Amino acid sequence: MDLLIASLPLLGGGVWITLQLAVLAAMVATVLGLAIAFAQLFGGLVLRIVAEAYLYIARGVPLLVLLFAMYYALPYAGIMVEPMSGGVLVIGLYFAAFMADVFRGAMLAVAQGQWEAGRAIGLRTPTILVDIVLPQALRVAGPPYVNTLIMLVKGTSLVSVIGLSDVTFVGRQIIERTLAPFEIFGAVAAVYFVICFALSRCGAYLERRASFVH
Amino acid sequence: MSSEITLIGRIAPVLAEGLYMTLELSVLAIVLSALWAIPVVLTLISPRRPLALVARAYIEVVRNTPVLVQMYFIFFGSSILGYRLTGFVAGLIALTLQNGAYIAEIYRAGIQSVSQRQTESGLAIGLTPREAFWVIVFPQALRKVVPSLANQGVVIIKDTSLVATLSVAELTFEARLLVDRTAAVYEIFLTLALLYMVITGVFSGLMRLVERRLRIVQ
Repeated sequence: MDLLIASLPLLGGGVWITLQLAVLAAMVATVLGLAIAFAQLFGGLVLRIVAEAYLYIARGVPLLVLLFAMYYALPYAGIMVEPMSGGVLVIGLYFAAFMADVFRGAMLAVAQGQWEAGRAIGLRTPTILVDIVLPQALRVAGPPYVNTLIMLVKGTSLVSVIGLSDVTFVGRQIIERTLAPFEIFGAVAAVYFVICFALSRCGAYLERRASFVH
Repeated sequence: MSSEITLIGRIAPVLAEGLYMTLELSVLAIVLSALWAIPVVLTLISPRRPLALVARAYIEVVRNTPVLVQMYFIFFGSSILGYRLTGFVAGLIALTLQNGAYIAEIYRAGIQSVSQRQTESGLAIGLTPREAFWVIVFPQALRKVVPSLANQGVVIIKDTSLVATLSVAELTFEARLLVDRTAAVYEIFLTLALLYMVITGVFSGLMRLVERRLRIVQ
């Protein structure tokens, strides 16, 4: 217990890094995910091929490999990236692929008749999209979006491997000095649990709300 | 050209060993997760509420914490307890615990999607509830969830890379060593990424074949 209290300041610093990473990467993933989904649904041939290739890579290559590649390859090419921005970028880019699946699925889940109805009353495509289809799609997207966010929060733990002092990294450092793995990794796991469980409750709430529609 | 050939000669055998380790860990983790999920889902849907709550708590805890932290917990924890597990075993346990929880939820969705009438018909022809579940409901549930299982399998294959942090000489670990030794950063990481894409691609393809064979024609 004393050990845990003594470790609190260090762990707290790690939690702060983890939270920053998660929030920033989630923003990157959301924006880019939307862009990819739109490219897939409405883009021309080239855009669609680029989007598919992107998704194919993100689905097939582990996040850890991408982080290592960024960590080793960019400096080698003379590009210096701060670990924090590098981490945000790679995690954001990686989860954007999963976000794209979420958004695309949600858009496709809106019945085709909604588009036709919009056209029948003389609305233009952007208006139909923004006023009719997107509001319905966002309802459907809520629960899987939250699931992807949870994956992303858990995924941030991998940055510990490239030397960013997030809560997992700090935990591992404390272990090397104190040899109290259960207490420390228990505490580290608890941090993730609090964040992810809160998110998953939000997801459950969104799911209940979305299901009222049908 | 000759320097490229020497490079390939140096890289290929090391990566091949890593590849073997990654495949071994992937197969074991996928099979064990799919098996471990069976008792978990049985507990989860059991009519005894306390038992079902235990399964629910287990699922929530492992699904809401990173598999990397679980690996560290098991790896460093086991050595404090005096049963020092190898990185391979600790990684395998963590992967099984994590993905077993996800697969249990997949099974549950499958079981619930099998019509109640299937069970009733089974009971009507004189099967016990247990027989009706194992002979009629569960096989149909399994057939329905093949695509979800395939997705989870891909997640497992990708997550085997995490045992590199426990110094297990699998693909990612070997690639990193090679980068340190040869400085052929781009070649090695490209090869590494391609290898994972091939493994996950072949796995997904196989699972699609299985899915097609087992599809229930409604």
